Amino acid sequence: MRLDIQQVSKRYAKNTYGLKDFSITIENGILGLLGPNGAGKSTLLKMLATVSKPTEGIILLNKNNIEKDPNYMRKQLGFLPQDFGVYPNLNAIEFLEYMAAMKGIGGKTLRRRINDLLEGLNLTHVAKRPIGTYSGGMKQRVGIAQALLNDPKIIIFDEPTVGLDPEERLRFRNLISDLANHCIVILSSHIVSDIDTVADEVAIMKSGRLITQGNQKSIVELVKDKVFEITLERDQLNDFKMSHIVVSTMRKEGNLVTRFIADSPIETATVQEANLEDAYLYLIKTN
Amino acid sequence: MKRFLSMIKYDYLQRTRSYTFLITLCASMAIAYTFVPEPNANYSTLRIADYVGYYNAAWFGYVTAIMSSIFLSLVGFYLINSGIKRDSETKIGQVIAATSVSNFKYLLYKTVSNFLVLVTIVFLIFLMSIVLFFLYNDGYPFELLQFLKPYLLITIPALFLVAVLAVAFEVFFGTYSVVQNIGFFFLFSILLVYSPQTDRQLSYDIFGSKIVTNHMENEVQKILQTDQKPGLNIGFVLGNVNRNKKFEFNGLEFPTSFIISRLVWILLGLALVTLISPLFHRFTKKVQRQKKKQSVVANDQRLAREINILKLPLPEVDYGILPLLKSELLLLFRKGKKWLWIVNIIGMAFLVALPYKISHQIVLPIVWFLQVGRISEITTKEVSNNVHYFARTSYLPINRLLLSQALSGILLLQLLAMPLIVRLAILGETKAAFSIVLGGLLIVLFAAVSGMLSKGKKLFEVLFFMITYANINSIPALDYFGAFEHHPNYILQLGSISLIVLLTGILFKKYQLRE
Repeated sequence: MRLDIQQVSKRYAKNTYGLKDFSITIENGILGLLGPNGAGKSTLLKMLATVSKPTEGIILLNKNNIEKDPNYMRKQLGFLPQDFGVYPNLNAIEFLEYMAAMKGIGGKTLRRRINDLLEGLNLTHVAKRPIGTYSGGMKQRVGIAQALLNDPKIIIFDEPTVGLDPEERLRFRNLISDLANHCIVILSSHIVSDIDTVADEVAIMKSGRLITQGNQKSIVELVKDKVFEITLERDQLNDFKMSHIVVSTMRKEGNLVTRFIADSPIETATVQEANLEDAYLYLIKTN
Repeated sequence: MKRFLSMIKYDYLQRTRSYTFLITLCASMAIAYTFVPEPNANYSTLRIADYVGYYNAAWFGYVTAIMSSIFLSLVGFYLINSGIKRDSETKIGQVIAATSVSNFKYLLYKTVSNFLVLVTIVFLIFLMSIVLFFLYNDGYPFELLQFLKPYLLITIPALFLVAVLAVAFEVFFGTYSVVQNIGFFFLFSILLVYSPQTDRQLSYDIFGSKIVTNHMENEVQKILQTDQKPGLNIGFVLGNVNRNKKFEFNGLEFPTSFIISRLVWILLGLALVTLISPLFHRFTKKVQRQKKKQSVVANDQRLAREINILKLPLPEVDYGILPLLKSELLLLFRKGKKWLWIVNIIGMAFLVALPYKISHQIVLPIVWFLQVGRISEITTKEVSNNVHYFARTSYLPINRLLLSQALSGILLLQLLAMPLIVRLAILGETKAAFSIVLGGLLIVLFAAVSGMLSKGKKLFEVLFFMITYANINSIPALDYFGAFEHHPNYILQLGSISLIVLLTGILFKKYQLRE
């Protein structure tokens, strides 16, 4: 599987772009899309899922232009939108059967696949209750199940962990890790921890543009020796924030242990091992 | 007070900026254009025996005011009767419930907002009536007062009461939208046929039109020099126009008692809002029910078994539409309250038991009309349930999904009409039976296309109410299911219209998907 996104833009008004000149090539594995709200992640994913069309540029899946032949993509797509709903009067099994029918799949094995997916997503015990009675996390898991119904070769998850509790997040990560060798998984989030444990490749976006792309190691390398920790008094923090990129603060014995990024070291600060979150914040703040 | 006015302002802006409002406004303007027929038109809207008024300012002002009062009372209700429901759906209601805004204030602001929406439409109809005057008048001078007076005393109070009733119906039957729709329909019909016998009883007429039509009847009675009151026709009646008979109508001086009665109606409306305030659920109903059910779900034992997604059984390709059709039917059948199916079954029994003409002309349109909540959502439920991304990425959405949606609606209506279809077939009335089949097809296609064009279900709901009202009032022009005598090409016409609607739907869906 190979997905080529070439110079893709999405223009909403004359000079308003949701996405601008975006190019990336994705092969089997998990690509994590990171970016703040409004970065253009969902805009990109909707175009990949054939929900909307690019204003400029082309998207090729195995050399097939998906704008011209959207059904080529749809046949092998699993898509979990960021903001989706369900039919509240159907139960999970009925809803998934409906989704399967929409995708053009069926047969004798469908019911078994649905049951297994519901079990893997911990929904078996509520499978026959109307989805309208589910909690937000349960509905999210139904959404994940529908994305995996058709044995997809390209899977797009837009903010998939919204509403999931920590245990469910772990199960979700385990579930998609298995897929990485056989298909393309694109996972978008603005929460770095959702991405850093599973993604083979990471792309960071801001204001509709791709800031950087690479494996986690190469991205973290960008902030190597630039991450420090310093202990500040409470009233010093606001001034400190004005001149440094503060990653986090932690209260300790009345003071604030502050993790920050700087191009040059400060005398009382200690160098820390950089991680993806540091690199993400650095790239977002400096671009 | 400032906060109260702000709430009204933003609610009003939110509602009038909707696509549905725009469509209803355009439709209202188009209909208002026909309120006073063009001099050579072959239809009439208000007619006393064979007489219509000379086209002077009074005739334009009073006729359009009366028609607006009646037309907007019916159509307007369906446009505004979901203000509280929408606040509940958008969760704004819960935010409001957590503020110090009292029930009375909230309901009053909903009433005023409803009223302003209707007044906006009336204002444009008012302007349209003036334009019509300058287009068609018989050489009479323009008199603004002849326009202002009837609108202020007849239309405006009537619409205020409709705004109050819309809120009251929502408070009493909050989650039962079918009860709201049907209930108002019957209330409207009862109020419309109310016939005052004395001058005093004219004050009881909510629509305020009877005092004017009585006056017109008296004028014509004088011309005819008869003891009997001449017949009055209100509504769109085709082909009975005799242009030679006209009478002079110069408006009327409303008696003080009538003016006071219009104010009293407004005050009674406000009193009703006050009375129902303690009964308002304040957005707790739905929340409580969900909480109860969710707590049951949360208490269930968790079964945690990790699965390997790659080892799951592979599904087979199946591009047939039967599974989709099955799911669409399931959604249709589950939509709405279960007791409505008891009403449907009773309706089907009436289709068998009553004389077949009555079954066809009265019962069938009512039974089909009861499904308005179901079929109005045929193509809009994806958006209203936020499932549209799945639909957009489905395989061959037009050939499969749209087809199965339309088929499910058609099957539902055919199932409900089946007792009558079989009965007519047995009686040898094959043309009538076939007309019903085609009528069911047409109305479902119409629902689908209205939903696609307006991106909501309101347009179809409003139009379907109007069509049904016309059906049970025996107006042949809107008979889409062959209940009345028609010319031999009627079935061909029905089929052609269905085909045009179908093609419009397909082309528009293709356009939607492309854009």
